[in-house]
Amino acid sequence: MSASYGPKRLSPQLRQPSTTRAMMLDVLVALTPALGMAVFFFGPRALALTAVSVLSCVLFEFLYRLLTRQRLSVGDLSACVTGLLLALSLPASTPYWVPVMGAAFAIIVVKQFYGGLGRNFMNPALAGRMLAGTMPILMTTWPQPLQKLSLTATDAVSAATPMSYLHEGALPPQALDIMLLGQRGGCMGEVSAFMLLLGLGYLLLRRVISLRVPAGYLGTVALFALFSAPEGVSPLTWTAYQLMGGGLLMGAVFFATDPATSPVTPRGQVMFGIGCGLLTVLLRTSSPYPEGVGWAILTMNCMVWLLDRLGLPRQFGIGNFAATRAVLAQSWASLSEIKFVCPKLNLQLPKPKEGQAPGEAYLDLLRSLLKTVGPLAGVFAVTCALIFSVHRYTDLDAARAGVLAQQEILAQAMPQAAVGAETPYHTNGALSITAGYSEEGLLLGYCIEVQSQGFGGPITMTVGVDLNGAVTGVAVNSHSETNRVGTEAMTPEALERYVGRSGTIRSSGNNSVDSVSGATATSKAITAGVNRALHIVANLSTEGEVQYENTQ
Amino acid sequence: MTHSFFGGVYPATRKDITRRKPMARLPKPPKEIVIPLMMCADGPAVPVVGPGDSVTVGQPIAKRDGRGAALHASVSGRVSGIELRPHPWGGRSPAVVIQNDDRGELYAGRPAPLDPRTLTLEQALERVEWAGVVGMGGGSFPAWEKMARAAGKVDTLIVNVAECEPYVTADYRLLLERSEHILRGTQALARCLRCQRIVLVTEGDKLNAVEAVERRLRRSGNSRVQILPVRTRYPLGAEKQIIQTVTGREVPPGGSPIDVRCAVFNVATVYAIQDALFQGRPVTHRAVTITGGAVTRPRNLWVPIGTPLRYLLEACGGLREEADRMLIGGPMMGVALLDLEVPVMKDTNSLVCLTGWEHKPDTPAGVCIRCGKCVAACPMHLAPTIIRRALEDRDLTRLSKYHLEDCNACGCCSFICPAQIPLVETVAQAAGLVKRGEVEQ
Repeated sequence: MSASYGPKRLSPQLRQPSTTRAMMLDVLVALTPALGMAVFFFGPRALALTAVSVLSCVLFEFLYRLLTRQRLSVGDLSACVTGLLLALSLPASTPYWVPVMGAAFAIIVVKQFYGGLGRNFMNPALAGRMLAGTMPILMTTWPQPLQKLSLTATDAVSAATPMSYLHEGALPPQALDIMLLGQRGGCMGEVSAFMLLLGLGYLLLRRVISLRVPAGYLGTVALFALFSAPEGVSPLTWTAYQLMGGGLLMGAVFFATDPATSPVTPRGQVMFGIGCGLLTVLLRTSSPYPEGVGWAILTMNCMVWLLDRLGLPRQFGIGNFAATRAVLAQSWASLSEIKFVCPKLNLQLPKPKEGQAPGEAYLDLLRSLLKTVGPLAGVFAVTCALIFSVHRYTDLDAARAGVLAQQEILAQAMPQAAVGAETPYHTNGALSITAGYSEEGLLLGYCIEVQSQGFGGPITMTVGVDLNGAVTGVAVNSHSETNRVGTEAMTPEALERYVGRSGTIRSSGNNSVDSVSGATATSKAITAGVNRALHIVANLSTEGEVQYENTQ
Repeated sequence: MTHSFFGGVYPATRKDITRRKPMARLPKPPKEIVIPLMMCADGPAVPVVGPGDSVTVGQPIAKRDGRGAALHASVSGRVSGIELRPHPWGGRSPAVVIQNDDRGELYAGRPAPLDPRTLTLEQALERVEWAGVVGMGGGSFPAWEKMARAAGKVDTLIVNVAECEPYVTADYRLLLERSEHILRGTQALARCLRCQRIVLVTEGDKLNAVEAVERRLRRSGNSRVQILPVRTRYPLGAEKQIIQTVTGREVPPGGSPIDVRCAVFNVATVYAIQDALFQGRPVTHRAVTITGGAVTRPRNLWVPIGTPLRYLLEACGGLREEADRMLIGGPMMGVALLDLEVPVMKDTNSLVCLTGWEHKPDTPAGVCIRCGKCVAACPMHLAPTIIRRALEDRDLTRLSKYHLEDCNACGCCSFICPAQIPLVETVAQAAGLVKRGEVEQ
């Protein structure tokens, strides 16, 4: 056979009628219903934003190709698709400069730097949108639908998106049909699930995309949603909300199916869809943000090279078993190419130098080790100490809790006092002595923290004593008494009985407080503690030395 | 139908142009017949006639000598010489040129018809070899060798009536009009090869031929032969794909249908075998479809082998507008014709003259957008776009892993590519590179 290759000799002589340009045009057509719904909900501003986005994408593409002296590629309409997708994934209240910035990033950095159409590894529109999303002020207000935004102003009534409810594990207030129609807060294109499904149907009919990626994606999310419905919510309802909430449909239909950034092999496309679904579920459930579609797709975009390899169709004529064996053999071969290099450990004993005893070489080694490791360990210890102390002294919660506990004890031991101040007095038998002042700053009395031996262990209590030597209140700080037996003597009623007493309190007879039946030992211990506090206050002198009589 | 092959494409069939046109004989036989000696895949035959000899219809004019297939005069007349003439496979090659005397005398030394009830494999092989039957669907492989290799080793006989190429209707008309002969040939083949299962595979657009065959099968009460209409999808007619569709078995890489216990014969080959066995006629005529938007009166013709294509075109009223491409075979795998003087061969099933609007204009190849349609369309489980990327990198180690030698050049990838990248050529180029690289190493 002669091998004269000219255009006329290339078989097949028939071609299917579609072209790249026609495919892009089909995507634009498929996005039109969503755009129309956005204009209906958010007014002419949606249209203006879209125009800005599309125009800037086309302009950047044109300028880049012109300035780098490459063939102009505006005619393939891919820049228009990028612009439209970028606009539809922004909220309608976005300032006009955001799509321009997103378009610049999408077209110049993500698309053209990597060689233009078909060679970019990330979806340009999605990358541009996520760049805008990283600016904290931008993507937090979701305008209320049917609130017509003016063309210039950006003050929108923000509405909570259904995703933020779903993220909290609750059903959003919108009914399912409203979700389908799209009267909810969100990005311009993603609100109306019905219009997106219309676009999906069109793309499938025109064979622009296959169902592998969207089905894998939505199926995975639906499967997880079915089994993760919160209590009291029907799993089907929950699944429907999860599927229609947020940008999932838009991502699955228009972003994940972008031909340039999804695998070419059918099996790879299914794996791509499932991967997107898994990541979306992961991000939706266990990240602090309610939505994860964008990051999921961008992450999977970076895995396409791997999925293309994994999804290569098996060779014709060898069975699935043989094909699997071949793949395993090949992976084994590539794994065995990885050489494990053992780290070199010098386990030999150092040889003694001349005139040294064998042990001295060891000492030298230890010394050199210390020389190198010592400073490191020192720095490490200092850093740890610094971090610990900084943490300790800046741990506001712990400090606040301590102050609160002290105030509570003061309120219980001396209800009249407003402010407590620790005195410098030290007395044998008192853990601390706090002076209580009224709001006018008058000294009201002292709160003595004392310890006495209870039934199960030491009881620490704070006893308030006024300047007349009468008890103002008793508070138990800590104890180790048996629950329900010993604590009977620590109820507020039981402690109330000491208030107003002075002198030495006995357990019977004159000036006595009866023991609580069943908690005699604890009662006695508390009485002893109160007595000790009374004594301390009675003998309190500014010199700080108090005579203290052991009453126990 | 439980089995199916992977991938495939759906080109517009355009068979309506000629599907209702009965197979007609040429109104006036051509004045000059050119029978190339190279008519068989394994080499040229040796002429047994010389200039000045007079021949009759069916008289041997070249014999098999270790290789090649026997040739027979398709008209009666006088041999004017053995000359270098244009050959459809390219270039010029020696051919026996016969001047037609329009008398149509039959050759006297024709063998007697064989009895189908006592037919043996040896008889059949001898007779088929004498008749010079080769694969008439385009393979041109000697039919007797195929029979000899397959005998006793196959359990399924597949008669290929798929005719998945667009435009071509020659096999369809043959099955519709000569169904009795074809069934007889099929049964004889099955008897020789000792097959249990006999399947005629057609595409779903040939339902009245299917009906005709089923009517005959019902009348004869033969339950062993089965006719199987399959949904139209290109390339159903490719050997490996038709085996996969019927039996679910896949021919192993580098293997032949016998490895999966199948034998595939084209319907025209079966008809020629039947003709040789039970009529004692060698291959002298065949069905050819002359079609395409540029032909004035497209039709199916029953023509003598060796008729120049120009003569066929004139018999169909010539061209009504300028043909942009003329092809032998269908538009998917057909070879573009450079010279209309080439004759009808034993494997020529059609002459397709396409106008400019029928095929896609020659726009330059665009940029691959990685849509993956070529991977989803390849019935041989190749990944053309990945191969193309590796070829751009000249990465021989990667290319050698993509089993490029499996490509059967069906053209699905080039057909489906929205960027109009010539992927078939790319894969062929990559396969050549790998082969050369292995030779160098």
